[in-house]
Amino acid sequence: MSPVIQLALAVGEPAAPPAAGPARGPVPVPLTGAVAVAAAAREAGIAAIRLLDEVAAGHALDPTVVAAYLAGLHDGLGYIAEVPTTHNAPYNTARRVLSLDRATGGLAGVALRAGGGDEVSRATAPAPRAAGPAARWAEYAHVLTRLWESFPRAALIGDQQAGVVVDDALVRPIGHEGAFYRVAGPLDGPSSVQGRPVVVADLGDLDVLDVTAVARSADVVVVGRKRAAGADAALTEALRRAGRSRQEVALLGRVEIAGDDLGPGGAATAAALAGELRDWAGEHRLDGFELVPTGSADAVVTAVRALTPRLTDPADAPASPRPLTLRAALGLPEPAAVAA
Amino acid sequence: MSRRLHLNVNILNAGVFGGSWRFPGTDGTASYTIEHYTSIAKKAEQAKLDAVFLADGPSLDPQIRHRTSNNLEPTTVLARIAAQTERIGLIGTLSSSYNDPVELARRLGDLDYVSGGRFGWNVVTTAGAVAARNFGRTSEPGHALRYRRAAEFTEQVVASWAARTALVSPQGRPVVVQAGGSSDGRRLASRVGEVIFSADQDIEHARAFRAEIREGAAAFGRRPEDVVVLPGLSTVVGGTEAEARARRELLDEILPGEYARNRLAGQLGISLDGLSDDEPIPPELLVAPDEAGGSQTFYRVVKTIIETERPTLGRLLKKLSGGGGHRIVVGTPEQIADDIELWFRTGAADGFNVMPDVLPSGFDDFADHVVPELRRRGLFRTDYEGTTLRDHLGLGLPDAGPYELRPLEPAL
Repeated sequence: MSPVIQLALAVGEPAAPPAAGPARGPVPVPLTGAVAVAAAAREAGIAAIRLLDEVAAGHALDPTVVAAYLAGLHDGLGYIAEVPTTHNAPYNTARRVLSLDRATGGLAGVALRAGGGDEVSRATAPAPRAAGPAARWAEYAHVLTRLWESFPRAALIGDQQAGVVVDDALVRPIGHEGAFYRVAGPLDGPSSVQGRPVVVADLGDLDVLDVTAVARSADVVVVGRKRAAGADAALTEALRRAGRSRQEVALLGRVEIAGDDLGPGGAATAAALAGELRDWAGEHRLDGFELVPTGSADAVVTAVRALTPRLTDPADAPASPRPLTLRAALGLPEPAAVAA
Repeated sequence: MSRRLHLNVNILNAGVFGGSWRFPGTDGTASYTIEHYTSIAKKAEQAKLDAVFLADGPSLDPQIRHRTSNNLEPTTVLARIAAQTERIGLIGTLSSSYNDPVELARRLGDLDYVSGGRFGWNVVTTAGAVAARNFGRTSEPGHALRYRRAAEFTEQVVASWAARTALVSPQGRPVVVQAGGSSDGRRLASRVGEVIFSADQDIEHARAFRAEIREGAAAFGRRPEDVVVLPGLSTVVGGTEAEARARRELLDEILPGEYARNRLAGQLGISLDGLSDDEPIPPELLVAPDEAGGSQTFYRVVKTIIETERPTLGRLLKKLSGGGGHRIVVGTPEQIADDIELWFRTGAADGFNVMPDVLPSGFDDFADHVVPELRRRGLFRTDYEGTTLRDHLGLGLPDAGPYELRPLEPAL
């Protein structure tokens, strides 16, 4: 199939321009601009927008709030909210992301960022000296996936005659006891139509997370330019050890795009860039791209419009206008129930 | 300017009664869909209400077999409602015991910005061991400790909003809503609450409660008019009085019986085993409210009913009807408007947090018939005069500059 395309976007307020030099990385676009970007992304056939939690170039709005807001205006597009483990207890993250997923009809996910703990969980941490963002990430993501399946959709029956809302025999606490967290469950709401929300693991160019830490729970793995080489083989092996197959995970390569270069007259630039990216994906067996435009909202829209059709194969244009769920848009199977 | 009546609708999933979800003509699982909440919010905006209100707790109700419960997280629901409405205020319940203040301050401040200044935060401490176990605890923190944390937590969050220089909403910062009826809760309300969601069965008591909160606010150096007191009001509307009574009786009939007993026993923290429906509840089963561990507001209301009316268990269960101990009014739009007017004009309330019997039908009746009647009497707005929740509530913009932390105890 055509490469999967995910767009990274920060929504908020840019910082005052620095005295010297351009800002590094993506610049937050204002909320109104983000609405226009979402419309363009949907039209271009982008699978999902990943909403960034923190950017160097300004103040980003909370990604779960922005995702819920944008999804209320533009449906039919995936929304992935970046959520750090820092300051977020897993039960709360699980609820927010599943609520978003249910509100969007199965088009949501979370990009879980490795970090520290939160004030609530820290007070009762099972192993107070347990350390390491990668180990914490792995445990956290596992708790999320188990909570998301703790209240199966089939349990919601609403039998008005018999007076039974939920077949509570099907709803199971998770009883999680790990090094970082102790979470009883179950979640308060039924599971998603896509099985459970998508989990994105960003390996970036830093050495915080590796394929081993994310192999158990990730549905999407994002690598930067420096880590793309060999990522497919390493991921395949890590997944095999976790009892999963490479087909269950989408491997995306992250690319920063200067949207301003792709405007009117930039067609040749766009074509050349798209060609280069497709070669890159072919060489490293990437399933797609995460585009990170670094300009204004207009520049982001320009980049989306110029690049997306050149990255995807017109012959693969789907017959039905949009896949029904984010998992389908990413070419992922619905997950089997998570093993306890 | 004359006082203005304020009305919120509490979208308590399928409705305030335990049997709401079974009401004839109702989709029993509608409250598990997002459209249930967005469509009621749109209706509330058409009726020019102050706000929608979402109750919440981070746990699955152990009674889920028999009644619908909270099942969608409030900030994501309200952000979606913000996208699909323009004026209606958006009040969400978020726990001070089970959130990290740094994260919550950012998220709620951002929701206020995204909604154009329409958000209000209902601070609750979250009773019960079920929620505690989702956050590593084996039991809930004690009542006094929960409220001490709530006071510090709330002030930390408000101070963080006041310190914002970017992404500041048109109303300055979210409105702080507070619901606790216990002595700890009342002190917190006087200290930081801007809207007080109370539970009262009796007009005299409600008048005294409102006076106490306003005096308490003054003792903390605040203006009494900067606090808006909105008791919960469960409504059963009928075209005629007989229709309204029939609707109420039907709600009693479809209340799952096992549910009502379990819920009451759980909320009072006592066992009702062996007590039959036609026996009175022995008052000695109940400890003093401040010693009760769970929701003291509910406990207080029920204890008063038991002591003054000496009901049988069956009668008490019917009276509460699976609700949270809020006052229930049954009648025609005119009768309900009479009740609202009396409470409002005699200083027992600044308005109400309306909890319709069945959603959406009970709210449709309220919006289509009771609200116009209140308008005819000159009590309720015919259109919004502003765009923010503070505008609707008649609360001015908060003082600019850093938030001054208030002492834990009022000045004597």
